[in-house]
Amino acid sequence: MPSFTLLGQALVSGLLAGGLYGLLGLGLSLSWGLLRLVNIAHFALAFLGAYLTYEFGTELHLNIAFALLLILPTFFVFGVMLHWLFKRFGVGEFGSLLVTFGVAVIIESLIQWFWTADFRRFETPYASSSFKVGPIYVPALELAAFLTATVLAGGAWLWLNRTYVGKALRASAEDAQIAAAFGVNHRAQSYLLSGLCSAFAGVAGVFIALISTLAPSQIWTWLGVVFAVVIIGRLGNPLGALAAGVLIGACEGLAMAVISPAWAPVVSFSILIVILLWQPRWL
Amino acid sequence: MAISGNRNGSLGGLLAVGAALAFMPMMGFPAFYDSFFYVIFYWISLATSWSLLSGYAGYFSLGHAAFLGAGMYTSATLAVKFNWPFLATIPAAAAVAALLGCGIGALVFRLPRLRGELFALMTLAVTFVLATVILNTPIDGGSGVFLSAVPVPAIIKSQTGSIYLLGLAMCIITLAIAWTVSHSKLGLGLYAISDDEDVAEVKGVPTFRYKMIAFALSSGIAGAVGGVHSIYVGFLTVGETFGIAVPLSVILMSVLGGARHWLGPAVGATLITLALFGFASAGQTIIGRAVVALLLIVSVLCLPEGIIPTFLRRRRLAAARRLASAESARVEQEAAPAPSSASTPAATPVAVDVSNLKPAPAAQDARVVLEVEDVRKSFGGLQALRGVTLDVREGEILGLIGPNGCGKTTLINMITGHLPLSGGTIKLGGEKISGLPAHMIARRGIARTYQIPRPFVHLSTLENVEMCVRFGGRGSGAAREQALHWLSFCGLEQRAQAMPVDLNLRERKVLELARALAAKPRVLLLDEVMSGLNPSEVDTAIRLVRQIRDQGTTIVFVEHLMRAVVQLSDRVAVMNEGTLLTAGLPEQVMRDSRVMDIYFGHGHAA
Amino acid sequence: MLLEVRNLHVGYGDATAVWDVSFDVAEGSITTVIGPNGAGKSTMINAIAGLLPYRLGTIRVDGADMAGVPPHGYCERGIALIPEGRRLFTTMTVEENLDIGCYRPYARARRAATLQSVYERFPVLKERRAQPAGHLSGGQQQMVAIGRALMACPRLMLFDEPSLGLAPSIVDKMFEIIRDIRNEGVAVLLVEQNVQKSMEIADAACVLEHGRIVTAGRPADLLVQPHIQQAYLGIN
Repeated sequence: MPSFTLLGQALVSGLLAGGLYGLLGLGLSLSWGLLRLVNIAHFALAFLGAYLTYEFGTELHLNIAFALLLILPTFFVFGVMLHWLFKRFGVGEFGSLLVTFGVAVIIESLIQWFWTADFRRFETPYASSSFKVGPIYVPALELAAFLTATVLAGGAWLWLNRTYVGKALRASAEDAQIAAAFGVNHRAQSYLLSGLCSAFAGVAGVFIALISTLAPSQIWTWLGVVFAVVIIGRLGNPLGALAAGVLIGACEGLAMAVISPAWAPVVSFSILIVILLWQPRWL
Repeated sequence: MAISGNRNGSLGGLLAVGAALAFMPMMGFPAFYDSFFYVIFYWISLATSWSLLSGYAGYFSLGHAAFLGAGMYTSATLAVKFNWPFLATIPAAAAVAALLGCGIGALVFRLPRLRGELFALMTLAVTFVLATVILNTPIDGGSGVFLSAVPVPAIIKSQTGSIYLLGLAMCIITLAIAWTVSHSKLGLGLYAISDDEDVAEVKGVPTFRYKMIAFALSSGIAGAVGGVHSIYVGFLTVGETFGIAVPLSVILMSVLGGARHWLGPAVGATLITLALFGFASAGQTIIGRAVVALLLIVSVLCLPEGIIPTFLRRRRLAAARRLASAESARVEQEAAPAPSSASTPAATPVAVDVSNLKPAPAAQDARVVLEVEDVRKSFGGLQALRGVTLDVREGEILGLIGPNGCGKTTLINMITGHLPLSGGTIKLGGEKISGLPAHMIARRGIARTYQIPRPFVHLSTLENVEMCVRFGGRGSGAAREQALHWLSFCGLEQRAQAMPVDLNLRERKVLELARALAAKPRVLLLDEVMSGLNPSEVDTAIRLVRQIRDQGTTIVFVEHLMRAVVQLSDRVAVMNEGTLLTAGLPEQVMRDSRVMDIYFGHGHAA
Repeated sequence: MLLEVRNLHVGYGDATAVWDVSFDVAEGSITTVIGPNGAGKSTMINAIAGLLPYRLGTIRVDGADMAGVPPHGYCERGIALIPEGRRLFTTMTVEENLDIGCYRPYARARRAATLQSVYERFPVLKERRAQPAGHLSGGQQQMVAIGRALMACPRLMLFDEPSLGLAPSIVDKMFEIIRDIRNEGVAVLLVEQNVQKSMEIADAACVLEHGRIVTAGRPADLLVQPHIQQAYLGIN
């Protein structure tokens, strides 16, 4: 049995990693819950953002802020165009899964074309900096990711629950016809939301570049965990996605310390399987 | 996509092609060709096995890699660690994979809510768990499994040739199984499940059993394919085996070629494999993958059914158009042009075959065929039915009326077994049916129509009725003839080959009726069959209902059109707010002041 | 005339459900449309609310033709709908449902005052303002639906079978509310199965059968026609 310090460290690392899961799952949860579209390309997009950040930072020696400045609006536009495609061809929920899978593979191929399949690491001076809280080390970058996730999730929650547009989106998700009868322009709002979700993917990508090593195949390894996070946190619920991410991250961290690192993926999927079997009415 | 088509011709053709291909390795081509064709056979088998459940029944699985991997590792472990002869490991691989599939199915298929994307994610999750387990236990342990020491079964002298033949055998077997399933009662049931699982269950399809069989076949075949594949690959790693490439490739191949057709996945698999190979040999693997992904997107957007079904549909539409233009040319010559109306021409009253009509038994002294005793239903806190007791006598036409929300449709849903009871019992012919699964209640002799018609959209009109004949379980004789008989009885025989989407509302309602009759029910439940019909269509419907009763079927019909209720009913039962208000002869019931209250409101002078 | 409907044809897929319907609703009056189930009443009212496209004919609100107006533009013209079966946003709270009602800018600006009047009219909604709308009883949900429409500050309210599935005592109260709304100057188009009650409060009535208007006029005149009784009970 590992020491308390080790467990505590594992727990903290897991919590922070969970923040990144939540960040990555935020856009997916919102588009699936409110627009009824499953966006597998979300992951590929995030990694594209990561690679772009790497490129700006490593090759062009530009600040991360530049990366964000370019990524956010471009990804927003991409999200709008993707949604336009769905509307134009009347793609349903399952069709969106297939189409976005195709888009994801195309983006992955693009990434591999430009950056090859070699592992890439974005070196920053912050990579090794961390705070010390008692005997526990809190890595700065992971903490930044966690805080960003919290801010974005909180902001999304406030938007959905305290503003008219947010409430209109939630209403349209349940009954778009009646929402329209009261003046809600669902079409315009869905474009806005789709663009925002893609922009969120970009933000997640920036942090992925800062924290992880990059390889095109990584796109698929995150897919399973984040889907689990999104479902457990309930679709369309930004705070739920964050909470679920943190929960799964914590469980994985503990599993890694207590059992072995290799068993970590089993944690999230076992939780997912149990949830799907016993609580499907969440969806 | 209609299932009808060349029957034994296709299977024979398949076996002939298979036999011809079997000679290929001995023709002296370089070994490369053996491998190349093996890869095509491999993907055809994998994609076809996937579509057995996912294409036919509509339960898209993202976990095909789990079964492939289970098969590969079973074979590898048995051959390497336990020194089994390689050929013997293949059935074992199939068995292990099928067992895994049945285990998942047993858990998952019982849940009514777990449809669509959730089933997909569940299967994906199982793949990841299985991969991790294999990776962290001595089965693989992270170092991979080498099969170099395992002797390749020497079917013919050349090693690559033997592997080729194994792959070919799997491919032909898989395609033969797919052909057999899609032309069998099992396949018919699976297609119905894909279109509308609830209706299929109510029409007599044992949905749970059929899904399990399809899943077992699908996973078992994948396991066997994996078994063979392990010796082709020679070196197994968890990452390669359980990666996302397999599940997504089989989906792409099936979707492209047509997931519902037995040959669709094979077409898709061949095209994709050739395309990828072409790009790879040109040194452009990455571009190749991107192009294939683009192909998936385009096919989902523009060819949602897949290549083969789209082609078949276009051919059928062209034939129908030729028929229609020949028909209208003939009509133009015969009759003066009639003023066009905005709706489709009303059906001419059908000349009914009266030879089988029996005189209706006197309803008063007939025995009771359906007993509803103190039936209750609550949805959470809402009490939809508060204790309804009603006897239906054999051979009568019982009208069931009441204001919207009084519980009539809920009662019907409970009689058919679609909803479980919260209290009370329902008996048919003295035997308790409440609590039985819906498909068994259908077999015992209860049939219903839906107020908003719910035909199986991918089956033709005739096939819709044929399905109900075969699964209703109470008739005898060839299903197709019986189906045609019921279509003529209802006056719909001219539309036998049409797809439900081409029928107008009245025709769809008649199809509902024909489907219910096809099961030769003892009790027929009609749910607002007159709504949406114009007055002359209503008259035809009334005549039809009488003819049905004269054949000996007891009828309970829910209706709002009072004219029809009064003309048709031997007795009328009135429901209000979840209880039975009164029941009796139409004239008495209609004059009852309580009944007039609920329709007219308080204070109306009688 | 606040609402003028001329020669309206509305269809569902291939079936034409409403044929050549013409009628008017005057300002500050209640017009009721009665008819048997399946007659097309809901189809017609959904077309007037902008939920369904119509094939032929004109709809004019306050003289302005509604042709080409997108579905979300109908509320802006002063039309509010209380749909059949209420169709509340069940996962949202009572107050959030009311907020959607005043989504349009004109109504949003007057939210505070309108909300207060809605809560005065329906005190039980004020008690339950933070509860998910799906947890309320049928009668309370109907109040939310009416409140939601009132929040839009409409000039014309469309009621689609409001008494459906409600207990008789609540039905009485509801018709009183409809009468009050009319007295406050809002026009009402009322589609109902409950002939007696709706005729009691209506200023004008028409009968819709099989998608066509078979008769129209003042309620008092229509009630004595034997055809009305025939349409519902089948016997004289």
